[in-house]
Amino acid sequence: MAGVVRNALKSIREKGLRNFFGELKEEGYLKCLLDGNLLQTKMQNIGATLVGIDKFGNKYYEKFGDTQYGRHRWVEYASKDRYNASQVPPEWHGWLHFITDHTGDELLLLKPSRYGVEHRENLSGEGDEYIYHSKGHSLNPGQRDWTRYQPWKPTKA
Amino acid sequence: MGLGSIASRALRSNTLRPGHTNLLRRSIVTTTELRNAEAAQAQPETPPPDLPPRTPVAGARVHFPNPEDAIEVFVDGYPVKIPKGMTVLQACEIAGVDIPRFCYHSRLSIAGNCRMCLVEVEKSPKPVASCAMPALPGMKIKTDTPLAKKAREGVMEFLLMNHPLDCPICDQGGECDLQDQSMAFGSDRGRFTETKRSVVDKNLGPLVKTVMTRCIQCTRCVRFATEIAGVQDLGMLGRGSGEEIGTYVEKLMTSELSGNVIDICPVGALTSKPFAFKARNWELKGTESIDVTDAVGSNIRIDSRGPEVMRVVPRLNEDINEEWISDKTRFFYDGLKRQRLNDPMIRGPDGRFKAVSWRDALAVVAEVIHQVKADEIVGVAGKLSDAESMMALKDFLNKMGSNNVLCEGNGPNPNADLRSGYIMNTSISGLENADVFLLVGTQPRVEAAMVNARIRKTVRATQAKVGYVGPATDLNYDHEHLGTGPQTLSEIAKGSHPFSSTLMNAKNPCIIVGAGIFERDDKDAIFSVVEAIAERAKAVRPDWNGMNVLLLNAAQAAALDLGLVPESDKGIESSKFIYLMGADDVNLEKIPEDAFVVYQGHHGDRSVYRANVILPASAFSEKEGTYVNTEGCAQTTVPAVPTVGDARDDWKIVRALSEVAGVILPYDSLSAIRSRMKTVAPNLVNVDEREPATFSYSLKPESQQKISTTPFKAAVENFYMTDPITRASKVMAQCSALLSKK
Amino acid sequence: MLARLASQRLREIRQVIRQIPQTTRSLSTALNYHLDSPDNNPNNPWEFTEANKTKVKEILSHYPSNYKQSAVIPLLDLAQQQHGGWLPVSAMNEVAKIIEVAPIRVYEVATFYSMFNRTKVGKYHLLVCGTTPCMIRGSREIEEALLKHLGVKRNEVTKDGLFSVGEMECMGCCVNAPMITVADYSNGSEGYTYNYYEDLTPEKAVEIVEAFRRGEKPPRGTQNPKRINSGPEGGNTTLLGEPKPPPCRDLDAC
Repeated sequence: MAGVVRNALKSIREKGLRNFFGELKEEGYLKCLLDGNLLQTKMQNIGATLVGIDKFGNKYYEKFGDTQYGRHRWVEYASKDRYNASQVPPEWHGWLHFITDHTGDELLLLKPSRYGVEHRENLSGEGDEYIYHSKGHSLNPGQRDWTRYQPWKPTKA
Repeated sequence: MGLGSIASRALRSNTLRPGHTNLLRRSIVTTTELRNAEAAQAQPETPPPDLPPRTPVAGARVHFPNPEDAIEVFVDGYPVKIPKGMTVLQACEIAGVDIPRFCYHSRLSIAGNCRMCLVEVEKSPKPVASCAMPALPGMKIKTDTPLAKKAREGVMEFLLMNHPLDCPICDQGGECDLQDQSMAFGSDRGRFTETKRSVVDKNLGPLVKTVMTRCIQCTRCVRFATEIAGVQDLGMLGRGSGEEIGTYVEKLMTSELSGNVIDICPVGALTSKPFAFKARNWELKGTESIDVTDAVGSNIRIDSRGPEVMRVVPRLNEDINEEWISDKTRFFYDGLKRQRLNDPMIRGPDGRFKAVSWRDALAVVAEVIHQVKADEIVGVAGKLSDAESMMALKDFLNKMGSNNVLCEGNGPNPNADLRSGYIMNTSISGLENADVFLLVGTQPRVEAAMVNARIRKTVRATQAKVGYVGPATDLNYDHEHLGTGPQTLSEIAKGSHPFSSTLMNAKNPCIIVGAGIFERDDKDAIFSVVEAIAERAKAVRPDWNGMNVLLLNAAQAAALDLGLVPESDKGIESSKFIYLMGADDVNLEKIPEDAFVVYQGHHGDRSVYRANVILPASAFSEKEGTYVNTEGCAQTTVPAVPTVGDARDDWKIVRALSEVAGVILPYDSLSAIRSRMKTVAPNLVNVDEREPATFSYSLKPESQQKISTTPFKAAVENFYMTDPITRASKVMAQCSALLSKK
Repeated sequence: MLARLASQRLREIRQVIRQIPQTTRSLSTALNYHLDSPDNNPNNPWEFTEANKTKVKEILSHYPSNYKQSAVIPLLDLAQQQHGGWLPVSAMNEVAKIIEVAPIRVYEVATFYSMFNRTKVGKYHLLVCGTTPCMIRGSREIEEALLKHLGVKRNEVTKDGLFSVGEMECMGCCVNAPMITVADYSNGSEGYTYNYYEDLTPEKAVEIVEAFRRGEKPPRGTQNPKRINSGPEGGNTTLLGEPKPPPCRDLDAC
């Protein structure tokens, strides 16, 4: 803990108080005060190894030693206010859930280029514009003409 | 077999033996349980004296051909009496125990290669494949012992080894035997970690889609193709884990029954190509209806989702179609969505059609019909007309003073007086008792595929002989081609033909006359020759009636029952007002230039181009209608989907028109028109019952016609395109393109 | 640095994935379905030779006239001998016509048995026994030596069309393991032989191949000069004396 304070003081000295608080805010330390989950993550991060950062900016940490085995990997979401588990892309999912020891960066190299849509978080409950509507749905922008029969057209005569 | 029946079985057996609590538990049989099995068996098995009667699985019927041959076996301690020669699996079915199976099918030969039906038989060292094991007197069969359960579980694990777990993208998902049975009898995990095998998909034509990797080698399709469809194309190639179903040389399945392999395939290896990825079976609403594409009246289930017909599957009817349907019946449904008439239209003075309201259209028709003379009015009912609409049309035109109402396909002067002269008197299931067939001018393979399947079944089972008179054709069973024209018939009647002795010596001779003959001028002469043959062969006796007519269209029998007989031969040629009710096969050339043509129907097929007024009607899948099939069995269709646009039921249109024309028909409801039908032909309201003809042809007056020498023509040129709906169908078009290429 | 680490890990991952055994179809010489090629398609005419037609009649006479289909295997064998060791689809069709069954029933049989070759083989088809006793005694080395010597893969024909190497399962010669079989199609069905060459070493196997190439017919059976048939090397070591008569009760006693 002392080291943390020393580091903080050091960066205040280097960057100035204003910049330091700006960075704190960006890193979500101010949100910590209201969000217990984030606070706990931040506290766990102290002394943990940063294993990787995915393309969305989520940070993956690992810490052996005083953490309970099975709780030694976690993610700090890029979004500090509106985060949920679906923001973890598939390549990191396996590492995070102890399915594999290969990190997301390694698995990403194996990803075949010919398929795989970009990962999207689950936006359920975030409003109609985010939700997938099936092809016939009135809210689907590319709504097709669903005439169920083709009428006879008097072409001849 | 559904999960429901499995669950109910588990419940039932629990109530049977209340002490045996682990029956409800479907768990992996652990070794400890196996060890306990002996102890469990050691318990004295004294079935309680008041065993509740069990219901046989799926209404399995026991038929004792010889009462002395009955033997008694015990299924789970429950005694059942079965005839000798039944298999253990059938005995279990009668005892109300549904044995899981893949390769066994009651209508196919027994293969015994899936091993799913293993049961324990007392004193047998190993589990027994029940489908291939004949039941012996006093056999004690146990179907839910740990041994049997473990055996099934093992078999299931082996079957799933090479089966891709692609249920989410498989069309069989939800109605898959493998899925159901692995839920009910399989383990909750597999131990197979190696790679699965993959098999190249085969091209079987435009109807059957294959994903051969899913195949579990039950060989049902191979046996179906060889035994029932009569096309020896499919086979089991290779051996061991490389075994696969295929044709070896690329070949399409050229059978008119090929669609049935979709139903008998227990997994998703053979699925319907037109239905592929269209819907899930649990989204579908099934409506039990009748097929109208031929005169057999196969029982079908129309599966619809919302307002759309998604597929057609057969319904079991032992007397008509067993559990098969022809490809035309199964795949023509996409024709119901194309070329539909949805608005009443009137042809303007410029020769163009204009959509109008019903009121205007009917007013025009009513106005014109009053301007022509009564005997210049002709009504023609189409191939797909139901009895109700034909009744209404006949009543309406009769009220207008005309009696020129006919049904297409019945010829210029049909015989409607003697019912035995136009129905299949032997009945379709009765064909199985015949030992000699004489086909006169009919090719059942294309005219009525289900009747052909019956004849083939009989030929296979009893080596019945088939003689055929007509243009050379490929019937898929051994037959003797006797000749092409009516003179061959005269020879048989005189006894100078070699086949006539076969016919005379037959016990149950069966003569089938094609309805194509109705169109011939010497129709009565041919019928009297055929009757002479029947006389000589003693084909009509009190206990056997072997004199049959095979009709072509769904409407024909009902039309003759209702007496839709034109007054004069020259009806159409001399008419001024023609009312075509779905009649698309009338010769449009014959219609006079100045005639006013009303076309009432559901498809813009052929006659609309000659029509002056178009009245849109609903198709058979959208209305309630009575149809009589070729054996004289009245059946009704039920609306499966709503009708399109402004279309209305046929009889309602005629009823409305009668009101506008000022001759109100006295019925407003379906029950009212049916009671009117009852007064004309009471058999039409005896639904789902075959009404045999009462009088035979012997009452008929002598015919004065001379027999001509013109050879018989094929009545159906293209199996896949016979009526407006099938002609509108894309799938049928693909099929007939392949047919013509061949 | 990170890139190197990543590529190293990547190699590890790939290796793990590659360990999954590759399933190869080694039993049969062909696929389970037919692909048209110029020398193998249903339009090629195919007929039994006049000499073989009498043989066909002879074979058919073994079976009752209503069970002609029982002759399918001998007829396919004859067709294979005649056609240089393999069965084109038109030969199978011809057999089907003779025994009056649908062609698919013949295809089923021909695909089932691994001794019916449905793709081209060499004039001398060498079949290496791969079953356990032979494998323990070095059949893999023999196969390797043959393939290396001929410069082909398994079930592939050499450029001159003389040799092909296949694998067979146990041919009942375990006492003289390892062994190969040479199916000799060089003289049609008349001079067809199917000989075993036993007690091989890789060198001896190559020698045999070379002898065939020279047009010789090396003596069949064990290739170990010290053995006679399946007898022990260097003559008998046991049971050397006259066998003792079986003990018998004194017949005169009663």
